[in-house]
Amino acid sequence: MPDNWGFVLAAYGLAAVVLVAYWRFLSRREKELEDATAIRHDLRQPSPKPASERPSP
Amino acid sequence: MIVVWKDLLVERRSKETLNALFFFGLLLLFIFQFALGPDRERLAGTLPGLLWLGFILSGLLGLGRTFVVERENDCWEGLLLAPGDKSAIYVGKLAGNLLLMLVIETILLVLFAFFFNLDIAGVLPGLAVVIALGTVALAAVGTLFAAMTAQVRARELLFPVLLLPVEAPVLLATVKATEAVLLGEPLGSVAHWLKLLAAADVVYIAVGVLTFDFVLEA
Amino acid sequence: MRRLLGGVTLVGLLTGLVMGFGIAPRETTQGNVQRIMYLHVPSVWVAYLAFGVVLVASIAYLVRRAESADRLAHASAEVGVLFTGLTIATGSIWGKPTWGTWWTWDARLTSVSILFVMYLGYLLLRGMIDDRERGARFAAVLGIVAAFNIPLVHFSVYWWRTLHQPPSLMKPGPGTMPGIIVAALLVNFAAFTLLYVYFVTRRARLLRLEAEAEG
Repeated sequence: MPDNWGFVLAAYGLAAVVLVAYWRFLSRREKELEDATAIRHDLRQPSPKPASERPSP
Repeated sequence: MIVVWKDLLVERRSKETLNALFFFGLLLLFIFQFALGPDRERLAGTLPGLLWLGFILSGLLGLGRTFVVERENDCWEGLLLAPGDKSAIYVGKLAGNLLLMLVIETILLVLFAFFFNLDIAGVLPGLAVVIALGTVALAAVGTLFAAMTAQVRARELLFPVLLLPVEAPVLLATVKATEAVLLGEPLGSVAHWLKLLAAADVVYIAVGVLTFDFVLEA
Repeated sequence: MRRLLGGVTLVGLLTGLVMGFGIAPRETTQGNVQRIMYLHVPSVWVAYLAFGVVLVASIAYLVRRAESADRLAHASAEVGVLFTGLTIATGSIWGKPTWGTWWTWDARLTSVSILFVMYLGYLLLRGMIDDRERGARFAAVLGIVAAFNIPLVHFSVYWWRTLHQPPSLMKPGPGTMPGIIVAALLVNFAAFTLLYVYFVTRRARLLRLEAEAEG
């Protein structure tokens, strides 16, 4: 019975491509959203106090 | 009950739909004849499938329009705000749909028998059982999905996309059972298919009754 | 925590690979093509697991109206469809050298295909409803209908394929498979289950972030 390694590789290759692609989709979207959230939080933080108002040592 | 009565009285939907479905059925018949007519044997072999293809395609059209009156006449809010158990609306609409489908199926069956020279007189009781069981399954899910897709964009697309895969086992069972019945075999020989259809009917109606409240929530 | 899960998953998958290729022997009747089963069978298991979770999460959402339940259902359905697609693809690739044809209407491929289209419809429904609350509700109802449909699909397709025909080339049950092949299968089962959990938790988290971004 011929071993049909080509088919085995095709199956495993396809699985690898699909699963890695999904993993990358998840990672990329997550990073986008986390960056967006961080920017929104930064915008809401009060701006740093100017030097003159720092308490004297 | 009121819902059924209301729908029957709203002849607009019923007559419109029935007329359209009748002509649609006739058209299907002609197409089947053109495609398979010359080869009598092949035609006979595929008849059960063709019959149910006709039923389901008509069903898609008819069932999809379950809530068209409410939608077009801005009565949708009326449905959502109706007091009490919304499942009553489901049962009412289901009964109406059953009636509609059985009427159109009877017409299609008669046309089939006429055009393809089928002797259905002898097998009518068995055939009736199969058709009844299958139609309940189609209408039960169809009514539920019609409510869900009524307010969605591209509802004409989404309704068949949702309904057909779910009904696949039912169609399989009905076609197999119809095949046997048309060949003159006793109903007992397809008991397993009938039991599957009965189980499907029970499950679908139960889920429909239990979840309809959630679908028609305000 | 997630890194740990990710790491364990990766280790699991690699172990599964090693078992499947290095340790498991060449199968006697089918040759090395049989190794595709180490992908195909765990995939279908994960698909069923995923759709079972969709059922539970859907019911939980309708009862408790917890957004987290809705997100779990959504994520699990998506991952489920992914693995169902993988099941069909690997099954088809295995079928070509084994049966000589890319597609065959055998019991497993047919029922898995019906499942695939059903839950694809689920994802489509979600995509087409803009109102988040209504989308969650409707998807939950569909998730319940689809799950209850699974046994109906199974029986109908199985009877269709076996009652008037000799059973198709069914894979022999675990009882007749050599122990080492069973072991390799089980390792891959575990690895794929871990992968499922990993994917679903990340996807659900993503959904939460998306909701917060819009909210």
